[in-house]
Amino acid sequence: MKSAKDNVELISIPMVVDVPYRFAAGKYMTRFLTELRDNGKFYGIRCPLCNRVQLPPRIVCAVCHVKNSDWIELGNEGTLVGFTIMYLPLTDPTTGKPHEPPFAYGSVRLDGSDSVIDHFLNVEPVVEHIRIGMRMKVALKEREDRVGDLGDILHFDPVT
Amino acid sequence: MSERVAIVGVAQTVFSPKRPDVNYAELAYEAISLVLESTGLSVEADIDNAVSCSHDIWDGQTISNIGITDVIGGHLRNEEKLAMDGSTAVYYATIGILSGEFDCTLALAHTKMSQTNRNIVNNTAFDPIYSRLLGLDFTSAAALQAQRFMSRYNISEKQIAEVVIKNLANATRNPWVHNKGFYTLDQALDSPVISSPIRKMDIAPDSDGAVAIVMASEKKALKVTDKPVWIKGVGACYDAHYLGDRDLSECYALRSAAEQAYRMAEIDHPRDEIDLVELGDEFSYQELLWLEGLGICGSGEAADLTCRGFTSFDGALPVNPSGGLLAGVPTNVAGLNRVAEAALQIRGEAGDRQVGDVRIAVAQGHSGFCGQHQCVIVLGRE
Amino acid sequence: MRKNVAIIGGGQTHHAARRHDVNQVELVNEAVRAALADAQMTIDEIDSVLFGNMEFFEGCHMTDCWLVDGSGAYGKPGLKITTGGTVGATIVGAGVHHVASGLFNKALCVGFEKQEEGDTGAILSGVAHPLFGRSLAGAAVGYFAMMATSYMAAWGAKEEHSAMVAVKARQNARKNEYAHLKLDISIQDALNSRMLSYPIRMLDMCPASNGACAMILADEKTARDRCAKPVWIRAMDTAHNEQFELDWRDVTTKKPIFSRVSASRLYRKLGVDDPSKYFDVFEIYEPATWAEMVWYEDLALCRPGDGFKLVENNMTAIDGPIPVNPSGGVLSTNCIGASAMLRIWEAALQIRGDAGGHQVVSKDIRRALATAYGGTNWTVLTALSGTMDD
Ligand SMILES: [Zn+2]
Repeated sequence: MKSAKDNVELISIPMVVDVPYRFAAGKYMTRFLTELRDNGKFYGIRCPLCNRVQLPPRIVCAVCHVKNSDWIELGNEGTLVGFTIMYLPLTDPTTGKPHEPPFAYGSVRLDGSDSVIDHFLNVEPVVEHIRIGMRMKVALKEREDRVGDLGDILHFDPVT
Repeated sequence: MSERVAIVGVAQTVFSPKRPDVNYAELAYEAISLVLESTGLSVEADIDNAVSCSHDIWDGQTISNIGITDVIGGHLRNEEKLAMDGSTAVYYATIGILSGEFDCTLALAHTKMSQTNRNIVNNTAFDPIYSRLLGLDFTSAAALQAQRFMSRYNISEKQIAEVVIKNLANATRNPWVHNKGFYTLDQALDSPVISSPIRKMDIAPDSDGAVAIVMASEKKALKVTDKPVWIKGVGACYDAHYLGDRDLSECYALRSAAEQAYRMAEIDHPRDEIDLVELGDEFSYQELLWLEGLGICGSGEAADLTCRGFTSFDGALPVNPSGGLLAGVPTNVAGLNRVAEAALQIRGEAGDRQVGDVRIAVAQGHSGFCGQHQCVIVLGRE
Repeated sequence: MRKNVAIIGGGQTHHAARRHDVNQVELVNEAVRAALADAQMTIDEIDSVLFGNMEFFEGCHMTDCWLVDGSGAYGKPGLKITTGGTVGATIVGAGVHHVASGLFNKALCVGFEKQEEGDTGAILSGVAHPLFGRSLAGAAVGYFAMMATSYMAAWGAKEEHSAMVAVKARQNARKNEYAHLKLDISIQDALNSRMLSYPIRMLDMCPASNGACAMILADEKTARDRCAKPVWIRAMDTAHNEQFELDWRDVTTKKPIFSRVSASRLYRKLGVDDPSKYFDVFEIYEPATWAEMVWYEDLALCRPGDGFKLVENNMTAIDGPIPVNPSGGVLSTNCIGASAMLRIWEAALQIRGDAGGHQVVSKDIRRALATAYGGTNWTVLTALSGTMDD
């Protein structure tokens, strides 16, 4: 039975909030992104105390509370340490457009780095084709198409 | 307060209209590394808590204290963010130390206003159902408050302009700020109207910067410095949200916050007992309104007081000798910078802007439009 | 802590996917009124209001300012605290500090989320650094999916195990009148639910809920004078992990990480040897099924790699020896800004014996542990007891 209460009209107000940003990459990310764009190279940064090589480069080693200092060139190959196959059309906030599912993405530890980097994996999105421990190689956009952000990386290819 | 809490170190970055060379973590670290250097403290051995003030929407990052966890020493430790004005970091850090849970707290406020648009950001602070669609932002809301305040107490634009002239002249003594100079009344009154009666020069300009201070328990403080600045009292209060629910010429929340802080500090006659005030003049008229809310004078009296030079650099009660927010201090950082300036004055370390002997100082900060949330900190040398 | 602090009242909303009948102010007010009624107190008696949610999830900047009429903060001291998913517990911590400082006797803690009013997935992707990872951020589901593949590869757990967690949560939720997802599901239902991000399926994830939770904390004198069943906050511990290094969770890592570091500090404070025996019930913040099994191990309820066996053997069922999430947990209700506070409140209800349909009855509940989870691997742990002697 419907009560009078069920017939009360409920108003909701649709609204889009659009806040523009322009982010400064900062000193450390600027050098990282410039090397990636101009030379196709990955650089990590090493802590002077614990010696771990961190990617992305950043000002402070959070474990040791000291300024990071030494820039270390990393390999463009690495090892897959984690992955998933994404079935959701997740929105890319930098473009506002969805990524077409299903797609594979994973975490790769580049040779020489103590950190991992997450990106798309250029493999068929089938669990049986992906294995933790696989060797992966970075595929970059062509030099003239690189703009200096993480989108300069297309994906990781399996090393055959 | 049975136990005592002190500020043992203060540092700030240069405030400038734009810092394209650093991201907000690097900006914050400039202030953090300075305060650690100047106190000789280390995160590892000395700091056991961190409190920061900022907002996700300003930082452009969800849960934006993620971005400063590393530089504030938050890794595997206690680290909290208040989405409020920087004065609340001091308020909350004081409570944390008094609780016995923490001994030494790093308080930080940081904002890069240059990376987004203040009008859009501030419009989203209005409730989305009733007020936001009007397109109000903090400036237009402030204009309503200024108009109400001025008409109720018959205050002229000239009297308001005296605040601008005083603070921007004071700012010439302050190396950390960017909006400064000696202006005439005519120049101030010629400034373009943004939202009547508020002119461009009446508004704290967009700025990027950070402030870091270290606070400690009495025992710790006395080991760290021979010039501790004691927190004598703290207070905070929310006003109503809807502008229509408030008489904007009243300082309901500020009066309550000040009363709490004065009671704790055992201040009965603020005008006589306080040597210096640093307050949040986000808009020039607010300096007058907040002085009344702080009980420095009666309602409607602050304009005359200011024009008589009572609050001038060499007046009986200097207000914002640093130049205040009008001199260019980022939003959110605002209140922590007020506390930092007051602490420097008490320590006698304010450089060219030192006003003389300061024993008791009051710092005020506010969050929300027309000062909906107010926070008052009383600092003292003894 | 200089003073003992007790929970003397609390309340929550009936959590749901749709609450078009209330605005944010009214939603928050439901929980605040419930807490005041539970404590037999009026808002005038509250000394300070501590408030939090996920910033901007409802498209509003400074929600504390808008919601003063609902939270009761008008005319009172108060703060807005934001620490991501842990915020509900961080607010309780703030309440403890307020009361223990001696400046306040009664603090009202309020957490809420009205997820239907914004785009949570897009905003959660904003957790990633704007220049590193945001363009392909997989929100929370991608993170838990990679944790799950690591867990399966390392310990040999199967999708069936996560399905068991999914079923336990939703069947417990059916006993909880306030829970959002009260699903009468089987393991097969869980295994047949839609794949979101391998191996995470729809029923492996928490829902997006609308709801609020409020709690009143008080000093010892007020608690003893005013409350028949105060629940004491015995210890809390917070650990935030650094920004980048745990964006993928290797479950075999030996590195000191947030959850284990925090648990070992808390256990040391309380003198806990075997947490599975010391605590009588657990309320764990598990946004995904796999996270619950990892929490078992991080909290040392079992050895590393044995978490899925606890589930397999029904050890953590509502009538098992180590009951975990009798309320249905975050898997059944996730109004984010309230979720971590709900863990503490549900743990307190168990100690009071007031949990109703989901009260653990197979044993006497004297002590409880609640966890929070959020940010980039942050936690707040809260230990509660029914008497100061326990
Ligand atoms: Zn290091």
